[in-house]
Amino acid sequence: MNKIITCVLIEGKKFFHSKVPFITMFALMIVPFVGGFFMFVLKDPDLAKSLGFISAKANIMGNADWASYLDLLAQAIAIGGLVVFGFVISWIFGREYSDRTIKDLLSLPISRSIIVFSKFIVAVLWCLILSILVLVLGLIVGKVVDIPDWSFGIMIQGILIFVICSILTILLSTPVAFFASVGRGYLSPIGFMVFTLVLAQIIAVTGYGEYFPWAIPALISGADGSGITMIKASSIAIVVSTSIVGLIGTMFWWRYADQY
Amino acid sequence: MIEIINTTNLTKTYGKTHAVNNVNLSVKQGEVFGFLGLNGAGKTTTIRMLLGMIAPTSGQCYLQGQKVSAGNINTWHDVGYIVETPYSYPELTVRENLEIVRRLRSIQDKGCVSWIIKKLKLEEYTSKKAKHLSLGNAQRLGIAKAIIHKPKILILDEPTNGLDPAGIVEVRQLLTDLANSSGVTILVSSHKLDEISKIATNIAIIHDGSLIKEIDREQLEGQLKKSLILDGKDRNAMKSILSKAGYQVYIENKSATGESFSIQIQNKDAVNNPDKIATLLVNAGYPPTFLKVEKEDLEMYFLRSIKEIGGELN
Repeated sequence: MNKIITCVLIEGKKFFHSKVPFITMFALMIVPFVGGFFMFVLKDPDLAKSLGFISAKANIMGNADWASYLDLLAQAIAIGGLVVFGFVISWIFGREYSDRTIKDLLSLPISRSIIVFSKFIVAVLWCLILSILVLVLGLIVGKVVDIPDWSFGIMIQGILIFVICSILTILLSTPVAFFASVGRGYLSPIGFMVFTLVLAQIIAVTGYGEYFPWAIPALISGADGSGITMIKASSIAIVVSTSIVGLIGTMFWWRYADQY
Repeated sequence: MIEIINTTNLTKTYGKTHAVNNVNLSVKQGEVFGFLGLNGAGKTTTIRMLLGMIAPTSGQCYLQGQKVSAGNINTWHDVGYIVETPYSYPELTVRENLEIVRRLRSIQDKGCVSWIIKKLKLEEYTSKKAKHLSLGNAQRLGIAKAIIHKPKILILDEPTNGLDPAGIVEVRQLLTDLANSSGVTILVSSHKLDEISKIATNIAIIHDGSLIKEIDREQLEGQLKKSLILDGKDRNAMKSILSKAGYQVYIENKSATGESFSIQIQNKDAVNNPDKIATLLVNAGYPPTFLKVEKEDLEMYFLRSIKEIGGELN
């Protein structure tokens, strides 16, 4: 246990001394402001008309109410999170290869699985922090914009969907670590992220999105325009299984593959 | 003496290529083992297998009697290493990088970081980020990381890369001290053969994945060829006189140490009695203007060893 704590602290130190926390925070913090701005525009039709293009885009976001706004935040975390969380994990794993520091981690009196697990812990913690920040900032922005139709029920449902989407999206980032390790750098995981993102859109359109892990969080968030989808146990199982495969695959790769 | 590093029939193949082929190494306690080879000879692959970074296709590695494998973490308590160019976390300072190693190696003595900083003369760079270090100081940091836990075994692949001459001397002294006073067993590969020759107690030469020589210093001394190098006004006439006297005379552009003298004799009699050769040439009316007994250095021995097995020099 002590070794895990030590490794988590070390991984945390490496991570927080880099620019990645700032970049990822900046990337996701835009979401509540953009959402709030859309709500602001939708709330005032006269201003919307005078803005032209922006009002046309803003209409896609639905109505100026808390339900639409919370949906928007969940969709942003479900789709944007795939990229941002994927970026976090691809950096945490890929940097060891691209900076060639991996060699220092291989012949230590500490299990490679512990090192890998610690990296995942740091990545998950940071992604959770990012999600919480987006939610909290989103609520503050919503309050400042004074979005109408607030109710306790809407808030609870909206927050619940946001949390579920966040957790599922975070879980889906473990295969990115595997590709960062196999590809020994950043290029493979980024390629994998783009591939899954595009494929998720295509599969969602064909109606099989609930069986494709990377489409599931977006479907739950209602990103396909059909409103919030019922969460199926099979979909959750698919995401969790994908995550476990990514985690174990990465550990196996570190443990058994030749490391150069 | 106790065998500390040992490989048995160590082999690594990539497709049909044998990167390392049936290598049997034996390094005993306190030895400084020079591991030599041309680029691509299999040095680094062997070292990576010794460190559990890559798995052998066949054969085994043992460190202190324990079989090396990625999962056998107990092997690494007493091992320090550098594999090719050492890299550190660029966004962290020298002290932070060393602190990470201290914690990963579970070293309780926090003072070891300051100790190693002082030992490697990194005091003025402690707060400097690793990305801002010069090549030489990055190398020092790599060595510091390798020895911070006072290992019993050091496996070093090109440890003096990037160091200036003063740094090379310091590292040489450091390795010699570690071997002599602390009994550290060192396996070191380097292209700087003159450095290896100064510190190594044993030498192994690997070529095309196969071990072609493994000898100790005493045996090496016996195997280093001696030549009588001489020069004069009429080299052809001198060669003719010496040949007639039964000596095998070679005309070389360069001697073993790189000096531009033309005539070399390797006959034992000539090497042991240079005055006899001088007398012979003086009497014949061709007095030598230069006469020197020269011993082959490690570099020449290394190259000759490869040539002897029909190997090509890259």
